[in-house]
Amino acid sequence: MHSPIIWHSFFFLLFSILACAFAVAVVVTTNIVRMAFFLVVSLGSTAGLFFLAGADMVGAMQLMIYVGGTLVLLIFGVMLTAQQPFVSMHTPSGEWILAAIVGGSLLAVLLQVAWSVDAWTQGPPLPEAAYTREGTQGNASEALAHDPRFAPSQTATQLGFGLLGERVDQLSVKDPESRAGMSGYLLPFEIVSVHLLVVLVGAAYLARARYRASE
Amino acid sequence: MEQVDQLASLVPLLLGGAWLLPLASFTLIFLFGPKMGRHGRLAAYVATGAILGSFVLSITSFTMWLAQHGVTGAPTHASHDAESQQAAAEKSRAFLLEPSTFDPAANHFTSVAYRTDDHHEEAGDDADHLQNDHHGHGTGTSDHGHAAHQAPEKVVYTGSWYPLYRSKTLLIDIGYYIDILTVSIFCMVTLIASCIHFYSIGYMHEELTDELVDNECKLPDGTSLRRRGRFHRFFQYLSLFCFSMLGLVIAGNVAMVFVFWELVGICSYLLIGFYRERHSASTAANKAFIVNRVGDFGMIIGLMALWGSLGTFAFGDVDGRPGVFTLVTQAPGGIPNGMVRLAAYDQIEAGVQPTDEQLAIWREQHLGYGLLIVAGLGIFCGCVGKSAQFPLHVWLPDAMEGPTPVSALIHAATMVAAGVYLVGRFYPVFSPEVLLVIAYIGAITLFLAATIAIAATDIKRVLAYSTVSQLGYMMLALGVGGWLAGLFHLVTHAFFKALLFLCSGSVIHACHTNEMPLMGGLRKKMPWTAYTMLVGCLAISGAGIPFVIGFSGYYSKDAIIAQVLSFSRANPAHAPLYWVAAGGAAITAFYMFRLWFMTFAGKPRDTHIYEHAHESPKVMYVPLVILAIFATGVAWRVPGTNLSLANLIEDGRPVTSMTDGVFWSSLRIPNEHLSHSDVGIHTTATLVAFGTALSGFLLALLFYGTRTLNAEEVQQQFPRIHRFLINRWYIDDLYWAIFVRPTHFIAQRVAAFDRQRIDWFIDSTARWVRGLSRLDDLIDRYVVDGFVNLLATWTYGIGLSLRRVQTGRLRQYVMFIAVGTVALFVLASFLWSYAMAGS
Amino acid sequence: MNLLTQPVGVSHYLVVGAVLFVCGVVCMATKRNALGVLMGIELVLNGANLNFIAFGSHVLNRAGARTLGLDGQLIALFVIVLAAAEAAIALAITLNYYNNQATVDVDHADELRG
Repeated sequence: MHSPIIWHSFFFLLFSILACAFAVAVVVTTNIVRMAFFLVVSLGSTAGLFFLAGADMVGAMQLMIYVGGTLVLLIFGVMLTAQQPFVSMHTPSGEWILAAIVGGSLLAVLLQVAWSVDAWTQGPPLPEAAYTREGTQGNASEALAHDPRFAPSQTATQLGFGLLGERVDQLSVKDPESRAGMSGYLLPFEIVSVHLLVVLVGAAYLARARYRASE
Repeated sequence: MEQVDQLASLVPLLLGGAWLLPLASFTLIFLFGPKMGRHGRLAAYVATGAILGSFVLSITSFTMWLAQHGVTGAPTHASHDAESQQAAAEKSRAFLLEPSTFDPAANHFTSVAYRTDDHHEEAGDDADHLQNDHHGHGTGTSDHGHAAHQAPEKVVYTGSWYPLYRSKTLLIDIGYYIDILTVSIFCMVTLIASCIHFYSIGYMHEELTDELVDNECKLPDGTSLRRRGRFHRFFQYLSLFCFSMLGLVIAGNVAMVFVFWELVGICSYLLIGFYRERHSASTAANKAFIVNRVGDFGMIIGLMALWGSLGTFAFGDVDGRPGVFTLVTQAPGGIPNGMVRLAAYDQIEAGVQPTDEQLAIWREQHLGYGLLIVAGLGIFCGCVGKSAQFPLHVWLPDAMEGPTPVSALIHAATMVAAGVYLVGRFYPVFSPEVLLVIAYIGAITLFLAATIAIAATDIKRVLAYSTVSQLGYMMLALGVGGWLAGLFHLVTHAFFKALLFLCSGSVIHACHTNEMPLMGGLRKKMPWTAYTMLVGCLAISGAGIPFVIGFSGYYSKDAIIAQVLSFSRANPAHAPLYWVAAGGAAITAFYMFRLWFMTFAGKPRDTHIYEHAHESPKVMYVPLVILAIFATGVAWRVPGTNLSLANLIEDGRPVTSMTDGVFWSSLRIPNEHLSHSDVGIHTTATLVAFGTALSGFLLALLFYGTRTLNAEEVQQQFPRIHRFLINRWYIDDLYWAIFVRPTHFIAQRVAAFDRQRIDWFIDSTARWVRGLSRLDDLIDRYVVDGFVNLLATWTYGIGLSLRRVQTGRLRQYVMFIAVGTVALFVLASFLWSYAMAGS
Repeated sequence: MNLLTQPVGVSHYLVVGAVLFVCGVVCMATKRNALGVLMGIELVLNGANLNFIAFGSHVLNRAGARTLGLDGQLIALFVIVLAAAEAAIALAITLNYYNNQATVDVDHADELRG
């Protein structure tokens, strides 16, 4: 059986390695400025993973809000507080070891859970034509073009309607049991927007310029 | 006619305003007194302004009244129509000789048109009214005393402002009963009160300080008391006093009278006890209050008799409900049906129907008459207390402890006048027997007080006893049928007694002593005071040129003596009343001029006091002058008109009054008009009054003016009489022995019983309770508290141990979370496999 | 087992999410700088987000399998928004803390200890 390289998997590997490696780098580095940089790369790679999973809208959001907004905020914080004693702060080695043990065990548990469901371990197979050596090049590429992995996914419209209370993605579901509870997200959307407003006001209040209490 | 209607609503409005203004002032000063200017100085202006406003309102309504109704009163001795006097004399003699022609039932029930707010249609017979006026003018003198003469209608406005309580049997409301008497008394009270307010501004100026040294109040360590000035407080009380007095005058029912009666009592209590730190002042205030309580007790009995039998307290008709006067005057024989029915209660219970015929039979048997007497005597009891009549007169001299303007207000215009006023107002209800009691009480008071005044040396006490004596005159006059005479004297006396008190206050203000033996010759130092006081003395003595002109007291005292003479002629058994009245006139003149000579004439007896004496400020002597003018001329007739005080009061005369005794059938109250119209009585009375007053004056002149006779020698010659008088007839000692000592004795016994028996019982109970509670305390402390404390200790211990976990270190918490998560996973997987194994 | 030739499934994503999550937890547990702790939180949230996306993706599941569908993406969106809010407020708190205490060391912020 012919096993072609699946580029989708390739990019997944690339991005996942980048994300994991830079996440570990964030943990390991003691310099706060570098940590911020590593975090940017890690989160950007995660956005790539989102694209690969067919969530183009969320991926875009990840790039814009996280990498473009949140991290800028973080870097502002870093710059504002980056005085010499705080740039790199050392943690006692004992705590490192303790954290490594706890983190390792947690990781072990999580990995075990991740691999414990058989249906999850394998992704959907490629179309049959992709696996036949005999298949013409054109056939294979045509078959692959219809594979969802390679087809452009357009979820922005569906997400937009979902936030407005309409689930256009569920129209095709005939089974009423499956459709139960599939109403939209208008109320959460409103709550989140108000929440965001309150948070911004609160942040502005907390961070406003003020003399120290001691003065 | 429309004007009449307007007046019927306007006069109550004006007088109501005049009544409520002092209340407003009281409230203002009560709330903001201390903040009114420095030391509350503005309070005086507020109070004075209020009473001035009242005066203006009163005068306005008085003027409107005159403009509307005119003066219809019968001309008194001002009449010079000899012919008509002659005719009247003949007729009255005929009446006296033939009493059988005198039909009481026919005489005393003339129609009355009450003008109430709600019965305007009755005002329709205004034309008749005017005609009656004419009638009264032309033939007034000749008609009076006639058996069935047609009396002019009496104008009365009655009504209710605010009903307080309404039931089938009783209506109590804030109402009014306004006739010309009410209006006149309003003017009198507000005028005198205004003068006294002005005077007080000067007199009380010592109170305008933060620290006042009261030299008459010694503290236990020998120093004088120091206290804050109470200027505003004084005016606050004055305002309340005026409000109460005006309410008493305007009151439309006896219940309201009673309320304001008590308010007046409270005010006098507060004002007499104004220098409350002084023991004598607080005792005097208590005495006044307690003695008045005795009289008020009788008054409550009278009120109950009225309510129980008549079911109304109102004087006049209100809202169609007949008032006391209507019920009494329209019942044959003066006994209302209600009283007859109550008296025949057991017969009605037995089944006798109280039909009209049956009531008439009962009335023939004089059933209910006793109740009428009880009601009359009860009401009079209250008046005895308020007007300081004989058994209850003891409080008045002691009331001199208050500031002098208060003495003037109490003794002239207000409190003591209230009793006389009420007797006059309630006149139709008094049966002849009650009137006789009133006359005798008045006579005793008059004589007793006058004799005590001779011996007294305290200037204010002389005036106080003089007041008691003059009140006795008024009561005597009312009791012998002299309704006009009594109330006439009330008004004139108000003016000259206020004048006298304010003068004495001026003297005390200058000399800082009350003792007349320490004064003398003061007229050079304080001429205004001396000569205004001389006017007062002349007025109270009844000085005047007989038959021509005189001071106000001349007219009123003449009227009284004439009526007493008329009475004693009709009832020869009661001639002593006449002798007392005539003798009293002499004594009055004597003690008044004794006072004046001792104070103002002769040589100074205490040079120190004389040196320091000075005339009072203008704000004090201007009221004196005003009052002196009124004391001189208030009784004069306005030339060319019919307007005189006597005629005004005559207009307010009750439509009827009872004349013939029932239980004492020989008793006869003569019609008052006789005393004016009968030349014999009138002339005799005038000459007697003049002669006695002159003799009294001459005696005083000889003793104290020229010093021809020596008063000390007379004293030494009759030491017992002198001691008797100095000790005020031993009445206070008598009361002390009869009432106070036994009360103290009983109180001590009761106190001892209380201490020894009741206290012992309560103490032992308390001891038991204490033992029990100690036990309870132990249980509470060791069992209940122990349990609770144990729980708390455990909780505390657990909390302490858990406290260590709460390190406050963020990163440690994260570790806890992570470890917890892992532990949960491990635990869940264990349980899972266990459950799988189990199944 | 060649990862390159194998189609990617949900488990792969879960593994990456787990790694990110654990990195975040360890980061929170070891960093003394308050901003470092904040970065750890971001990592944790991203790991969780990755799981939501994976569970909702039609790319990673076989055809016809029941997935979270669009709900996964929507929840991921909310998480991003909340993370942004949280970052803003946490930064404000940190700045405030820095203003008052002149330090960003979380070990010094133990005034609430028992």
